[in-house]
Amino acid sequence: MIRIGEVLVSRGEGGVYGERMLAGARVWDPFRSKLAALYYAGTGIELAPGMKVLYLGAANGTTVSHVADYVEVVYAVEFAPRPMQDLLEVARRRENIVPIMADASRPEQYAPVMEAVDLLYQDVAQPDQAEILIRNCVFLKPDGKVILMLKTRSVDIRKSPEEVFRETIERLAAFGLEVIESTWLSPYHKDHAAIVCKIPLKETREV
Amino acid sequence: MQSYWFGDAGDGRCQAACGDPAALAKRLETLQATMDGFIPLRWEDAVACGTCTDRAGYLSLLREVCFLRAEQRVREEYAGKDTELLQMVRTLDEMDEVINLLSERVAEWNQVRHPTFSRKYRRTPAHIQVRRIAEKTRGALGKVAQQVDQLSAARTELAKEVSAKANRVMPNTSALIGGLVAARLMAHAGGLLPLSRLPASAIQVLGARTALFSHLRTRSPPPKHGIIFQHRRVHNASRELRGKVARALAGKLAIAARLDYYRGVAVPEFLDRAQERIDRLGGKES
Repeated sequence: MIRIGEVLVSRGEGGVYGERMLAGARVWDPFRSKLAALYYAGTGIELAPGMKVLYLGAANGTTVSHVADYVEVVYAVEFAPRPMQDLLEVARRRENIVPIMADASRPEQYAPVMEAVDLLYQDVAQPDQAEILIRNCVFLKPDGKVILMLKTRSVDIRKSPEEVFRETIERLAAFGLEVIESTWLSPYHKDHAAIVCKIPLKETREV
Repeated sequence: MQSYWFGDAGDGRCQAACGDPAALAKRLETLQATMDGFIPLRWEDAVACGTCTDRAGYLSLLREVCFLRAEQRVREEYAGKDTELLQMVRTLDEMDEVINLLSERVAEWNQVRHPTFSRKYRRTPAHIQVRRIAEKTRGALGKVAQQVDQLSAARTELAKEVSAKANRVMPNTSALIGGLVAARLMAHAGGLLPLSRLPASAIQVLGARTALFSHLRTRSPPPKHGIIFQHRRVHNASRELRGKVARALAGKLAIAARLDYYRGVAVPEFLDRAQERIDRLGGKES
């Protein structure tokens, strides 16, 4: 990741959402973007120029625009029409974003446009976040990585965030993913956790 | 063989779907992949198909197709008759909040200017008081009061429009509880489709979220009604009957919302029976 001093940045055309510029690069604010928070609070996955990324829950395209600055192509899936309008505007100016209006929990809707990706990034406010992630693992390359931004409050408001966190990790492990990093995103985001996984070399996947 | 956006490919063979981006976007609409044993596409297959010649060409065509598809989907989502009504209701509710806050503030401010003035034993409604302040006071206070007064006028106008639009968009629900409350229910559910998919029990407590969750979490009693309390049949019913009326009304509303979504016209036979059923309950008392 590109850092100027301590500040995380990405190199690309600025002015997407009024972000600050630093020495010609776009400042990637951890308080606005959960992915940026992960790079501050933990390690995450190094974004590289040749990477293909499937981004679930693209929303207004703010984080998407930063990811697109780093990688070859971003497949950005968003379901709601209002944020989609913004995402389309962002994608128009960044030629490596493929905007897809579809429901992330129904991968069959957008499977016909998907190639295998190096990174699956998910940030959706749904109760069945682990299941959505598992359903989308079909798009991963054999050495692909997964970043799940777990919104614990969307999963179950009655359970404690720690409980949801633990259960989600167990579910992902039961599916056969290997959790390589899991961290809370405080102080940047409350009750949000990041879980980074990879597919273990030996095929042990079963649902 | 697997169907992809550019055609059918697999086992080294490939059949290109022909047509311009618009045609491809149209085709994409009908594609449904089977996820069992799904193999993500290889862009090289698209080259083999003759759809494009290189990676850059592949991405640019795919982007064009996806843009067309997404723009089309956004248009479809907004084409629903309820999307504008949704914005209108939310504006109305926010205006209410702003008007209340500002009226209170204007009154407080005015009181400071007139140390002998008290609101006790006066029956003047807030909006009349604001109008008087607007007429009598000079300077910023008068201007603000004037604005609040104008805002109230705009609010009344909007409320009428919401009610009229709700009568058209959701005729059955509106007939049962009136356009305004019907529109509020719809806005809380997030649209007519989500409302029509809610069970009656959820419609009954729509808008009573705090009470509902405090019930689920602790042992506090469950809420009897949410937004539907605003309807006279519920709030005019005696305390013991309110829950009953709310439940019956919610039951009929759930049916009405489905009629509204799937038929879109008023169904007199249903409405007569529903009105009678609810009146029978509440009628005992009122």
